[in-house]
Order: sequence, then C-alpha cells, then structure tokens
Amino acid sequence: MSFSNYQNEFKKLLDRKYFSAVIHPLRKDAFSKLEKIGFPTQKWENWRFTNLSALTENHFLISEVNDAPQSKLDISQYVIEGLQSIVIYNGHFQQDISSVPEGIQLLTGLEYFEHKKGQVSHSEDSPFDLLNTAFMDSGVCLIVDKNIIVETPVRILFISNGDSSIMVNPRVHIDMGMGSSLTFVEEHVGDAVSLFQNEAVYITLEKNSGIEHIRIQSNSENTYNMANLHVKQLEVSKYNFYQYSDGGNFSRSNIYVDLDGENSECNLNCLSLSRGNQHLDNSIIVNHNSPNTYSSQVAKSVLFDKSTGVFNGRTVVQKDAQKIVAHQSNKNLLLSKSAKMNSNPQLEIYADDVKCSHGSTTGQLDDDALFYFQSRGIPKNEAFILLVSGFVSEVMEKIKFEPVKNYIDQKINSWVA
Amino acid sequence: MLEIKNLHAKVEGKQILNGVSLSVKPGELHVIMGPNGAGKSTLANVLAGRDKFEVTEGDIQFNRESILEMLPENRAGEGMFLSFQYPVAIPGVNNMYFLKAAVNAVRKYRGEDELDAVNFLKMIREKLKVVELDDSFIHRPVNEGFSGGEKKRNEILQMISLQPKLSILDETDSGLDIDALRVIAEGINNYRNNERAFILITHYQRMLNYMQPDYIHVLMDGKIVKSGPKELAHELEEKGYSWI
Repeated sequence: MSFSNYQNEFKKLLDRKYFSAVIHPLRKDAFSKLEKIGFPTQKWENWRFTNLSALTENHFLISEVNDAPQSKLDISQYVIEGLQSIVIYNGHFQQDISSVPEGIQLLTGLEYFEHKKGQVSHSEDSPFDLLNTAFMDSGVCLIVDKNIIVETPVRILFISNGDSSIMVNPRVHIDMGMGSSLTFVEEHVGDAVSLFQNEAVYITLEKNSGIEHIRIQSNSENTYNMANLHVKQLEVSKYNFYQYSDGGNFSRSNIYVDLDGENSECNLNCLSLSRGNQHLDNSIIVNHNSPNTYSSQVAKSVLFDKSTGVFNGRTVVQKDAQKIVAHQSNKNLLLSKSAKMNSNPQLEIYADDVKCSHGSTTGQLDDDALFYFQSRGIPKNEAFILLVSGFVSEVMEKIKFEPVKNYIDQKINSWVA
Repeated sequence: MLEIKNLHAKVEGKQILNGVSLSVKPGELHVIMGPNGAGKSTLANVLAGRDKFEVTEGDIQFNRESILEMLPENRAGEGMFLSFQYPVAIPGVNNMYFLKAAVNAVRKYRGEDELDAVNFLKMIREKLKVVELDDSFIHRPVNEGFSGGEKKRNEILQMISLQPKLSILDETDSGLDIDALRVIAEGINNYRNNERAFILITHYQRMLNYMQPDYIHVLMDGKIVKSGPKELAHELEEKGYSWI
C-alpha cells in the first residue's frame, strides 16, 4: 500500500498559512499514529468485505482556497422547511449563508479547541479518525446547554462540488448538556467529479439529554465516503439515529455508541439503496457499558445491478451490564443476480441477565406478493415499486421531524421509481 | 363468459392439468371439489395468469377472447378475480394504500375516473360493513398479523371493491369459524346477480349450506371427471372420491 499521496498532502497542509499552527502538534501526532497502523486491509476483521484500494490508488488533494465558492452559493434546491442550516462547501465553512437556531452555541475553527483546551482526540482512534484529525477542515461544534430544548432542527449541509480530485475531512462535535434536546440533520450532496470525504462526528449526551440525528448521504456517484460517528451516552440519555444512504461510489459508516450511563438508550436505523457499482457499507459497534441500557439496530439494504453491501453489527455487553435489552436486525433485498450483500450481526455478551436478539435475512422480491398485487389489477412495475417501498418503509418511519421524513420519503420514491 | 377448453398445464416441469373443460355463463355458481393434489389451485392460478404455471395445450376464453397471453393485471381489469387460498402478508404496505391502488388500477383499465381519497374512503367504508370489519382494519399492513378469518374477509372486501364479473374463490371457506363463514357466504350472496359468475373451489359442502350452486364438478388427476347438481356435494362429503 502506498501512503505517499497522503504524506505529500500532509506536508502541503503544514505549510499552508491558513491552517493554524496551533493545532499542528495534534495533526502531527495523529498522522504519525496513522502511518504506523496504516489503512485497514481486508485481513482486518471488520473490513473483510470492504475494498479500500481506491483510496490509495487515487490522489486526493487537500481542498484549496480556490475550491471554496467564488460567488454566493445558491442552496435553494436543498431547502427543507422548518430548519436552519450551516453550510460547508468543499470543507470550507460558509458563514454568510449559515445560521443556527436559538439555544445552540456554534463554535467554528479553533474556538472549539480552545473551549476544550485541546482535549479532543480519543485513545481508541481508528485509522480514519486519525486521518480526520490529521487533515480536519474548519470544524463545527454545536453546544446545547443544560435544560435547553432546541425547538428548531439544525442541519449541516455539506456540499462537495468541482472538477478537481479533492479530500475533505469534516469534523463535527455536538455536546448536549444535561436535560437538553436537539434534532440534528446532516446532509451530504454535490456533484464533485472525484471526492474523498472522511467525516468524523463526536456526540456526547449528558444525563437526561436526547438527540434525534438524521444523516442523509446523497453524494455524487464518484464520491468515496467514510463516516466515523462516535456517540457517548450518560444516564437516561436517548440517541435516535437515522441514516439514509443512496449516494457515492463507496460509502462506509463506522458507528460507535457507548452506553455509559444507566437507562441510556440508542436506536440506530440505517437504510442503504444501491445500484450500478455502488458499495454501501455499515459497521456498528454498540457497547453496553452499564446496566439497564437499551439498544436497537435496524439496517435494511436494497441492491440493484452489481452493487454490494455490508452490514457488520456488533453489540457488546460488558460483564456488569445486567438487565440490558439489545436487538439487531438486518434485512436485505437483492434485486439482481449480480448484487451481493454481506451480513454479519454479532452479539458479544459477558453478562448473564440480558435480553438480546439478532437476525439477518437476505432475499429477492417475493414472487407471491408480486402476483398477488398483479392479480388485483396493479401493473407489475407499480407493484414492484409498492413492494420495495413497503420493504424499506419501517426504517425511516419513526423520524419525528415531518419535513425531513417527507424529504427522505421523496428520495426513496424517486430512487425506487 | 368463461370457456375452458381442453386445458393442459404444468408447473416446474410437472404436468398438473390434463384436459380441463368448463363453461361458465353469467350468473352461474360453479363448485369445484376434489381430493388434494387434483389440480384445483393450479386451475385457479392458471386462470388468474400466474406465470410459473405453463399452459401446454388448450385454451381459456374470457368474454370470447383467448386470455392465455394476457397479463394478470389485465385479466383483473377485464373483470376476473382470484381469492387466494393463502393471501400473502405484506409488511410495510398499508392495506388502504393497496386497496386504493388496486381499485384505481382497474378503474383506469376500464376507462373510469380514478377515485380521490375522499370518495375512495366513502366507498371502502360501505364495503367494510358488508364484511363486518371496522375502519382500523384498512390502516394495518396488508394481511400482516391478520387472523385466518380476517385474511379471507379481506379477500372478499377486495372482491366487492374491484367489482369483477368472474370471481374464482380458492378455498375461501377453509380455516373459518361459523361466524366468519356466514359473513363470507353473505358477502358472496349479496354480490351475486345474473351478470356475475363464481367458481368456488372447496373441500367441504358446509359453505354450500349458505348458497345455491348451479353445478358441482369433481376434479381428479387434472381433469373434470364428474359434474352434477348441488346434491352431488352431499354425496361426495359422505362417500369421498373413491367411488367415482
């Protein structure tokens, strides 16, 4: 594996005036760790079905000033009513068209690192977290103080456009204070000709706080997506995650949730729709570190053509984490003979008083159901759409913020049609 | 209305129907009985146009036109309806959504205006009363978690909503308690008139206590081997099929 492209880019980055030297030590530390461990290979347990060769074969360049928009951006095609947006364009924060709802404190760039006194890396960082720390763009941090209920949802809209082959490393921190709540939407769009997006999101939930997190990944067909999501939950906190993914040539989400406090709960819902040569991949690790915790993983994929998919779902129940409830479900619909899905739900249980279930099914569209619909006069193509929509509907069904739910429903409908 | 002529059909390489002939006129109710494996469900599926059943010889004419090459959805549009022996459960698809799609698909086929949400609801509420089901029923996923009786009532609900000319009822009476049997028989009787025909496939004569069939046919080894009046059903129930 050649790493030289990234080494060249890293040297370039350290020379850039507009990247603050204050965090160079942090970047250098991360990069040297990454150089030691390297990118995952297919010999790594969680990467057996994930081919990352494109990441080293292509030469992705760090985003330059001239990759920022040259005139005022038009984001009208991405309007969702009832929310406010922060816009990041090719890794550059667009202050003039960004706003946040009342109750959210927005920190950008270095402000967050000052706020945290530089303590922002994690001891168990994966290669792509390290890559993100080494190259991170101007970060976005959302802080919701104690007992603040943010009524208006906030979205970070990541737009990646342009003809050059670039690498962006979005970095998001969300700190939810005790008793606070928020609806957070991240949406990834654009028509970049060649893009490697390596995102890292860190969410911490204090006692009694809650967040509804909706991730919409509709990047251009030539995008390589890597998403690294870290959630830490304290007592009685609730995390609801919905991921809709239909974009990119390659997309992999690494989702880590730590249920550290009693009575904390997470519900992870992932819907992946792929066609052509797309590869959509989800890897989830939920750690029940505390008793009386609840987790649910629901992942569904629909695959056309030669597309491929992966579901790695791991639920780990620590020794003293009694009385926990954990569910995993992965269901996949293969709509072509050449499509391929690898499903690997796993339970790792070290406690004895637990209630866990897991299941995985992969199959084709039910012929009997198709005939049933046709026999009622519904034309085959319409029956097909109804059945595929029906198969996926439960995953996004519980999104509470209607405009986003409808927005995703429309995406599903136009994808299926 | 329906002319089945010397129909031969096979499924997965196995010959099931070996020359079925049957003529059904408007207003008639035909009952097909016969032992397990005789080809009753195959006949129903072939009539409805299931493509895994291959017609190897003979013809089916509906309203004087051969329908062998016709898609199942178009047969439904022409006025044919099959009540399934095992209605398929479809999680994720709302029953109302399904019914509305079906009703409007056949209306469109028949050159009628599609029903909007309000008119559809009005129509379906009346039909729900006929099968003695409450409104909540149509907001559940299609057949998902339905009891045996609810599934069959849902079939009859679909029948009376789609307004077919010919209804093929494949063991619509099996697995029903007395109340459900009565509701379904009444639903069929109410729908019956001198323009609408029925083919009822059954193992038991008990459903026939509620209705007046014109003919009883015995299907064995893929052929109709005996036909007779209503009384034949009693005889079959008493003596079985071995005497034929």
